[in-house]
Amino acid sequence: MWEALREPFRYPGPRVKDADPDASPADRRAKAKAKDWQGTLRRIWHYLSRRRGRLSLVMLLVIVSCGLTLLGPYLIGMAIDDYLEGPGGRPWLLFLLGLTCVYVLQSIVGWLQNIWMIQIAQETVLRMRTDLFAQLHRLPIPFFGRNRQGDLMSRMTNDIDSVSSTLNSSAIQLLSSVLMLAGTVVVMLLLSPLLTLLTFVVVPLMALGMRWITRRTGALFRERQRNLGELNGFVEETLSGQRIIKAFSQEERVIQAFHERNVRIKHSGFWAQTISGFIPKLMNGLNNLSFAIIACVGGILAIRGAITVGVIIVFVEYARQFTRPLNDLANQWNTLLSAIAGAERVFEVLDEQEEDADERAALTLDAVQGAVVFHKVSFAYEEGRNTLKEISFKAKPGETIAIIGPTGAGKTSLIQLLSRFYDTSEGTITLDGRDIRTIRRESLRSHMAFVLQDSFLFEGTIRDNIRYGKLDATDSQVEEAAKLANAHSFIMRLSGGYDRVLIADGSGISQGQRQLIAIARAILKDPAILVLDEATSSIDTVSEIKIQEGLKRLMEGRTSFVIAHRLNTIREADRILVLKEGCLVEQGPHEELLGKQGLYSDLYHGQSEHRSAVKQ
Amino acid sequence: MTNILRFLGKYRIAAGMAVVMVLVELAVELIQPYLISVIIDEGISQKDTSVVLLWGGILVGGSVAAFIAGILSSFFASHASQGFAFDVREALYTKVQGFAYPVFNRFATSSLITRLTNDVTQLQDTVFMGLRFMLRMPLVVIGSIIMALVVHVQLGFLLTLTVPALLVFVIWIMKRASVLFKRVQMKLDTLNRVMQENLSGMRLIRVFVRRKEEAGRFARLSQELMGSTVSALRLTEITMPFILLIMNAGIIAVLWFGHKQISMGKATAGEVVAIVNYSLRTAGALSAFSMIVAAFSRARASAQRVDEALSTDSEAPVRPGRNTEGQCEGGIEFENVSFQYPHSETRVLVDICFKVRPGDTVAILGATGSGKSSLMQLVLRLYEETAGIIRIDGRNVRELDMAYLHRSIGYVSQEVLLFSGTIRDNIAWGLEDASMEQVMEAARLAQIHETIEKLPDQYDTLLGQKGINLSGGQKQRLSIARALIRKPAILLLDDSTSALDVQTEAALLQALKGMSCTTLLITQKISSTIGADLILLLDEGSLIAQGSHGQLLASDYLYRRIYESQFGKEGVAHVGSFT
Repeated sequence: MWEALREPFRYPGPRVKDADPDASPADRRAKAKAKDWQGTLRRIWHYLSRRRGRLSLVMLLVIVSCGLTLLGPYLIGMAIDDYLEGPGGRPWLLFLLGLTCVYVLQSIVGWLQNIWMIQIAQETVLRMRTDLFAQLHRLPIPFFGRNRQGDLMSRMTNDIDSVSSTLNSSAIQLLSSVLMLAGTVVVMLLLSPLLTLLTFVVVPLMALGMRWITRRTGALFRERQRNLGELNGFVEETLSGQRIIKAFSQEERVIQAFHERNVRIKHSGFWAQTISGFIPKLMNGLNNLSFAIIACVGGILAIRGAITVGVIIVFVEYARQFTRPLNDLANQWNTLLSAIAGAERVFEVLDEQEEDADERAALTLDAVQGAVVFHKVSFAYEEGRNTLKEISFKAKPGETIAIIGPTGAGKTSLIQLLSRFYDTSEGTITLDGRDIRTIRRESLRSHMAFVLQDSFLFEGTIRDNIRYGKLDATDSQVEEAAKLANAHSFIMRLSGGYDRVLIADGSGISQGQRQLIAIARAILKDPAILVLDEATSSIDTVSEIKIQEGLKRLMEGRTSFVIAHRLNTIREADRILVLKEGCLVEQGPHEELLGKQGLYSDLYHGQSEHRSAVKQ
Repeated sequence: MTNILRFLGKYRIAAGMAVVMVLVELAVELIQPYLISVIIDEGISQKDTSVVLLWGGILVGGSVAAFIAGILSSFFASHASQGFAFDVREALYTKVQGFAYPVFNRFATSSLITRLTNDVTQLQDTVFMGLRFMLRMPLVVIGSIIMALVVHVQLGFLLTLTVPALLVFVIWIMKRASVLFKRVQMKLDTLNRVMQENLSGMRLIRVFVRRKEEAGRFARLSQELMGSTVSALRLTEITMPFILLIMNAGIIAVLWFGHKQISMGKATAGEVVAIVNYSLRTAGALSAFSMIVAAFSRARASAQRVDEALSTDSEAPVRPGRNTEGQCEGGIEFENVSFQYPHSETRVLVDICFKVRPGDTVAILGATGSGKSSLMQLVLRLYEETAGIIRIDGRNVRELDMAYLHRSIGYVSQEVLLFSGTIRDNIAWGLEDASMEQVMEAARLAQIHETIEKLPDQYDTLLGQKGINLSGGQKQRLSIARALIRKPAILLLDDSTSALDVQTEAALLQALKGMSCTTLLITQKISSTIGADLILLLDEGSLIAQGSHGQLLASDYLYRRIYESQFGKEGVAHVGSFT
């Protein structure tokens, strides 16, 4: 028993000074963002100001409700002095009626202010959210290369959420805290300056205590966060690697390592929690102390006739009320700061340069032949480092163009230019003789279909996914496309068939099957130009042989661009472009290039070269 | 929930003390209004300064006592909750590590991680809060009522009337609100999913020109989210004003009756004041009620998730044997082996028969989903075959001790799994107490030694978040080194050379030849099958062909197609002339 009682006091002391040199990301973010919070506030205001009328009404209500909240205890004090202790001047019933009115009003005003604010806040958040979403669809593709998806997601969710919850309640609370604090002090001073001063003795004590605590908790929480983070990392690693741990029979070892980390968390967690747990106790203690001071000093003052009993009661209630706004202010301040930081992160995205607005004169094309010409096209992702250098070639309608070359040769960049994810630095690309920069992006893309390496499927039924490229396609058209892509038979074998719902992480169907659906999707779109960007690279050879058929049918009668690293898939192309370090080093059909004994022939034979090495 | 709370039992003394300390604090707070009524009635009214000083002094002393109790409760509650969380984490992790592999796979890894981290932290916070604040609410309410009744029975009774009405109301609101908030959460999840999808599929959306449709879908969902958020919040916003209204009505009633009683001489002003004060405290406590219920329901969800993992039957579907005799030679035999994953209807492997002599190299070829990896998992006994017999050195694997078996196997998985730490740690991970020589030896065999030597810190280079990023091929070679350091009798390579270039792969295979271990090699590349002693060709779970390269090339159509696709038709003739 005695041992158990002493246990909590036996933790090794907190390591306060050992603050993390590089503060946690959240901290750094808060600091970094504090730089322009005025500007950010102005922009939040800009959003809010569309509801300016309603908002001023809410402000007015907040002021009224603060007044009413202050009036309540004052009236009770009056009741005690005038009616309970003294003879009472005006009719008692009338007074109580007045008090009832004050109370009812207080409730109604409080309710109104909150629900109106919620309406305003949610409308604002809705607008921010849709603005952000629309902006993401206007941003140039390079933006998504620079920013991690998780980060963007967090802006859309966490940051918007923190703005939302702050606007919902914290904004009002912050305002009313300030008003209440000021109002309380004024009324208290009016009633009894001496007692007010004595009540406020606790304020410096509170400041001192809070300083003592927060100086420690900051470092302690960082320490705890770091330990938690480390444990999370460890758990993630060992659970993801469970197969290896099992295969090597190393369970005991990781359990031991886990134990060490767990102990560290317990220690740092203990001190962080204990010391931060002092805060409410300090507040309570000081509340109690001010209560005692008011009762004691107020009592003596009342005996001397300096104040009335009612004043004591008013003070007792006010003293309880003014520590609350102080506490609220401290709490709300952090929420407010994180909301401002959140809003700033949202605005950062909104401020990103959009895809150059299509020229006013840009055309919308109805039908396309599919003749593509690259004329001396150069392109650089960064200034001065050309990824593509003076590429020129022609593709007649219906031709199949294969693009090969080592990693980093610029194959994908070429496609990015064709789809206008990027624009050329020099030179022109024409479609049916027209510079593609004079064609509206959406119009241009509507004549192309892509099958990309990571055949991305959307959550929804298989049918919806195939129909993605052509919304008005009938069910039989969808099935027709699936048959052409060799996907029909496996779809029919799935439970649910075409109505089988695919989940975001794609469980249930294999990578190869996803690829087939992506091909069916492209077939249904029936484009003039088809782009296969390593469409079969993640598929094993055996499956690839099986889907070759589908691809061949897909390419018939369309201008097709095929990027592949397995050379066997491209032997039948009308023309093969061989890229190396951004330059087009060779082009021509398979046989012709083989005859040249150049890079293509090297690459082609390289794939079989090693075989003799293995044999020997 | 109760299952989880069992873990608190060990800390019942600390937890009990925390509660006792909270009671001390409460006692001090609850006595305050009573004492002030005494000061008014016996001090101020009688103009007796000593009474005021005496009770005032007691109030000051009481607040100091309450403060100390509060500080102590922080220590006790913290110890109880941290110890509790520590034990739950420990138990949960040990449990998870003890799961047989099929049981482990029943849970998504991410969900197990959440259970071990967020859920436990959530529970710990709730225990801490529970010991310090949640008990407070009902105690303040009950204590206030009792004290009010003690001060003045009839007036106190008015306060007693309001509380049940308020409780009923608050509970009703909470119930309605939880339904509404659930809907909000659902809408939010849907919205986030759409967002996630849009970000991942951004290119695709652009090339399929679906911006407007996606924006429309998003706008509709956002609108719905706003609608449900507003209606949920509107409901909960009624709570506070309503509580205030009822409590204030109570206060007015107390004033009204108090006035009557005083004029009849049945009550004093001090008593009325005290009861008013108790009413205010009750209102304050009740307003925290919704917060507490919300915290509790979150904690209950966490407790259920943790409990689900803790109470999972880890009764192993894979039953290890005890045989640890002798040295493993590396002979493997499959006799009519079939396998299907638990909770699945389709057989992944059907009637597989083959035999491997110690020291042979076996290449396994087949399409995705043809059962190659499953076959390896059976050798590893991560899963158990559903029919047939697997023999190692002629002994049924079911009889072998798991650790004994694993000691003889070096396994390299398809996806590279390295751990944070240095390169040396990672290689030595395969063999406890490995010496530096052994680590380097393994690295040389895995063709990674020279690459490591070129790194700034060589074998002490850190991997993972804090360290450097190796290329896919380098990581693969590291994990091969980790397997080789065990000098295994059986080496399992699950497509683990896919990211190696041709020369390195050839050198690696050459080095493996020098080791006297049986090698099972899953591969896509014909180049690695050519030198194998035995090639297994799997298709949809069946072993459709087996034999040497030359045999298969001559006899099997599919094998020849694969070969042609990788080497071209001219290659067939070429190799044909070699064999």
